Amino acid sequence: MRRLLQPDGSLVEGGCSRLGPEQLVEALRWMLLSRLVDARATALQRQGRFGTHSPVKGQEASVVGSAMALDPAVDWIAPSYRELPALVRHGYPLERILGRSMGRSPAATRIPDGVNVLPNQVALATQLQHAVGLAWGLRLQGRPGVVMAYFGEGAASEGDSHEAMNLAGVRRAPVVFLLMNNQWAISTSREVQSAGQFFRRAEGYGFAGVQVDGNDLLAVFEAATDAVARARAGEGPTLIECVTYRLSFHNTTDNPRRYLPPGWLERAECEDPIPRLEAHLAWLGLWDQGARAALEAEVAEEVEAAVQAALAMPPSRPEDLFDQVYALPPERVRRQRQELLQHVQEP
Amino acid sequence: MVLPNVSHLTIPSSPAYIGAVVELSRAQALEIYERMALIRTFEERVAQLFAEGRIPGFVHLYAGEEAVAVGVCTHLNEGDYITSTHRGHGHCIAKGVPLGEMMAELFGRSGGSCKGKGGSMHIADVSRGMLGANGIVGGGPPLAAGAGLTAKVLGTGAVAVCFFGDGAAEQGTTHEAMNLAAIWKLPVVFVCENNQFAESTPVVYHCAATSIADRAVAYNIPGVSVDGYDVIAVYEAAGEAIVRARRGEGPSLIEARTWRYFGHFEGDQVTYRTAEQSAAHREHDPLTTFARQAAERGLLTQEDVDRIHRDAARQVEEAIAWAEASPLPAPEEALTDVYVAYR
Repeated sequence: MRRLLQPDGSLVEGGCSRLGPEQLVEALRWMLLSRLVDARATALQRQGRFGTHSPVKGQEASVVGSAMALDPAVDWIAPSYRELPALVRHGYPLERILGRSMGRSPAATRIPDGVNVLPNQVALATQLQHAVGLAWGLRLQGRPGVVMAYFGEGAASEGDSHEAMNLAGVRRAPVVFLLMNNQWAISTSREVQSAGQFFRRAEGYGFAGVQVDGNDLLAVFEAATDAVARARAGEGPTLIECVTYRLSFHNTTDNPRRYLPPGWLERAECEDPIPRLEAHLAWLGLWDQGARAALEAEVAEEVEAAVQAALAMPPSRPEDLFDQVYALPPERVRRQRQELLQHVQEP
Repeated sequence: MVLPNVSHLTIPSSPAYIGAVVELSRAQALEIYERMALIRTFEERVAQLFAEGRIPGFVHLYAGEEAVAVGVCTHLNEGDYITSTHRGHGHCIAKGVPLGEMMAELFGRSGGSCKGKGGSMHIADVSRGMLGANGIVGGGPPLAAGAGLTAKVLGTGAVAVCFFGDGAAEQGTTHEAMNLAAIWKLPVVFVCENNQFAESTPVVYHCAATSIADRAVAYNIPGVSVDGYDVIAVYEAAGEAIVRARRGEGPSLIEARTWRYFGHFEGDQVTYRTAEQSAAHREHDPLTTFARQAAERGLLTQEDVDRIHRDAARQVEEAIAWAEASPLPAPEEALTDVYVAYR
């Protein structure tokens, strides 16, 4: 397993960081923002003001480190449902993401035109098919983009992941498969998910597979930039397994205390990527309490502004259920839409 | 013994295995050749019958791949399971499904294995552990994992062998079945019959790895690639895998590289490979290769070979006569054997 950053914030012997001071602080900023959104969204969900939320908590280095390897102008993200800071960095405004989970109007919360992000996929591994089709299409059109597809180790057991990776290998599609091994598929542990190592699956598809410490921002960024460069050069896909830990629940409907082994969470928390990156900044002499407080305040202000902006968005209308589904709605759907509108307008 | 990988689209001769032939008894050699000859004769005769319009539906012929089914199934008992493909006749014969019932099934007669309602692609004989030919590519692997789970839960000591093609190797169901079988250490042997073409799609168009056996590493199970023309090579690889499965050590993956003599289905114009390619592959014919190897070791004579082919022809003609004497299913039978109980 590739690691560059030690838990004490120092580099491993011979290790070399590809991120400069400004990029390190930018990464930390995304990670802190993500952590704060998790807390805020969870609180709002408990108040009945927010839909289901899947926290990124614990996986920020994997999400941010991989996303920072992408160029939002040409590259694409095919997300699952636990990549919020990657989407915001790529240009999907935070208030829109929050507004979507708060029942706001689809027109106000949709992914803006020109932002290269596919909609979240909750059906496991289905985004991988979309990612491969998109990447293959980009290649056929001679366009420069690379697609970063996120999925978990649970989704890796789905047949869709096999079919997508196989096709990507055969077609040498410019796609990076970022397998987020957070040890838990809801309540199913990594040990009973597969008898083999996830990254080694790439061998069966004829492309490279690497395993990195997913709590090490530098190692994730290095693997992701290498993979993106290969894809951009026409050398095909890469499978990156980020070994990380889900430090919160699967989502707001889940209670991990019912299945986590005693002590598991406490041990996993020692690997928290945020303190590790802060220790690295301190090791570089770039970090102190004041800098941290300033960054936290800035992020808090941004998150609060996004929440308020989302609250101010118009609510969804009943007909939104039907709109933006079909380009040309069939008669049956048009009739049902009309019936719903009559029903809700009756006193 | 470590089995060498062979490269795509070429089948080398296998001198490494010739020495192994001497470990077979004459009785075993006779049994292996008899089974392979029976499959070959059955398939060549079915090709004629189909061309004459005497068989309804579709047939996919197994000729050329006999060494795979026979090399594997020679290890199996009646209590073991196999799952098959759309190209299932060879598996049925190797597992001991009676020829008459098979032929009647192809003819759509009530005496068939499935009362004439399944046809070539759906021959099943659960009493003999033959869980079904399968028209769905990749349909067999989950069934094999389930059969393996049954054997494990019931503690019967049985194994399940899953025959599937190179095209099916790319189906998600195959991945799911292998992953589950590996996690639960199920007694399953996955046998990929890589005949180089998924219908008309060459294997290099749908697999970027050097071998289907490379997939085994994903599940941390043994994976080997063998010459699928060499029945002894298949027999040895399958023997290791089956012993391992019976010991409770879990599944294995075997890729057997082979070549089908006929088209994907009868009627296929076979525009995707050349006559020269086919002729080159036929030089490694599994029957003549084994007959030569066995003769060199004094296990089979030319008289044996001639007699075995005569016997096979007689058995197939008897099967045809038996099938033709069997009545068509009654119309009111259309809905029986579909649901266990009607509500």
